[in-house]
Amino acid sequence: MMQSSPLNFRLVVIWIGRLILGGIFIYAGYSKAFLPNRNFWPFFILKFSLTMNISNFAAQVEGFKLLPAWGVQFVAHTLPFTEIILGLLVLIGWRLRIWATLLTLIMLGFFSVVLRAYLLHMDINCGCFATPEPINLQKVLEDAALAALAVAMTIFAFIEARRPHPWAARETSQAQV
Amino acid sequence: MSRRVFLAVAVVFALVGARLVVSRGIHPVSAERYNAMARAAATPATRIATTASEPSATPAAVKETPRSEPVLTAATESARESRSAAPRPAATETVDGVTDIDPHKAFGSKNAPIVMEVFSDYQCPSCRAFYLNTNRQLMDNYVSTGKVFLIHRDFPLPMHAYSRVAARYARAAAEIGKIEPVEQTLYENQEKWEQTGDVDGTVAAVLTAAEMNKVRALVKGGTLEPLITKDYELGEVYRVNSTPTSVFHAKGQTYPYAGMMNYEILSQFLNQLLSQK
Repeated sequence: MMQSSPLNFRLVVIWIGRLILGGIFIYAGYSKAFLPNRNFWPFFILKFSLTMNISNFAAQVEGFKLLPAWGVQFVAHTLPFTEIILGLLVLIGWRLRIWATLLTLIMLGFFSVVLRAYLLHMDINCGCFATPEPINLQKVLEDAALAALAVAMTIFAFIEARRPHPWAARETSQAQV
Repeated sequence: MSRRVFLAVAVVFALVGARLVVSRGIHPVSAERYNAMARAAATPATRIATTASEPSATPAAVKETPRSEPVLTAATESARESRSAAPRPAATETVDGVTDIDPHKAFGSKNAPIVMEVFSDYQCPSCRAFYLNTNRQLMDNYVSTGKVFLIHRDFPLPMHAYSRVAARYARAAAEIGKIEPVEQTLYENQEKWEQTGDVDGTVAAVLTAAEMNKVRALVKGGTLEPLITKDYELGEVYRVNSTPTSVFHAKGQTYPYAGMMNYEILSQFLNQLLSQK
């Protein structure tokens, strides 16, 4: 009897989610930390570039009026690097369920914050990437789509982890025969 | 696992590469390249004296020049179109390879090891924060002591309705030697005049009636508009797209930095730049 393909709808969603969300997270983190100031050499110049970029991002985080000053600084200093690391881990696919869950929680957080700012008619920059982006309906829908993809990817990752792999199943059944 | 790592690294490189290809951000520019670009940006109609040795006009000469330019709008494009009809503005200077310096908006020693250009917009909140929190200490500790030659550049963003008007008034005040109180009041009262558009009233509050008459005459004369446009074009050479943006020139290198900087961070950077061999 012919075995079914190891690729199914859930695996396709997981792959698409990993590529899109992993890529977007890496770029988002990179742009926050390394743009717009990109003077890299000598070291004190690089340090100043990073400080300036993080300070610009902190100003954008502060614009949401959600966190106290120490919270703004904490998010500004940790989020860009967390995004890069998380994006890389999701792209690689190692311990996917753990990192996908974390990424989904962060994505849901982004979505709620952007939705809140939109509903309050806050005239601020999104802070999603280095380039200034106003918060409008399009941005809310983009975040909603990405959050939905992250949720689907995570749920499917858990479901797939419980199912025996088709090839493994074949080997088992052949071994039994 | 190794295939996955390879794929991930390839995707990262592709993303970063694509970003660099389409990048419209700020880049470090060598002094030679900057000068070449700045010269290319100047058209014959607005080309102004770029060396100190060239004949220079006094502020009085500026006032005496024919005022053929009509009332200008805040839009940059229309300003560019109309600038060809404008009279020659005040002469500018060159310091350490940095061209088109309006002596009325430059501070400190021309022999300072660091030249710092600040592109700012009077209606921008970050510029206000920079001016009120950082600029004073910078002036006291680096400009007055001959370590930094500071140049204020106008970069009125099109998104701000009154920033170009404010830039005109500040320029006019600079021409009569009153830039400091006028800048101070424009930034301190930013939230008021950006609501009402009453730049004239804000400036009038810190000048005498005679000074204000001179300022109004200069603003109406339209001779300042080419200077503002010139600064804006220099900003475009650096791909400035937000304010404040500071451009540091030291030891033959140029470092543009976008964003508000607090004094402690700036001071640390300037000290390291000064100690650089």
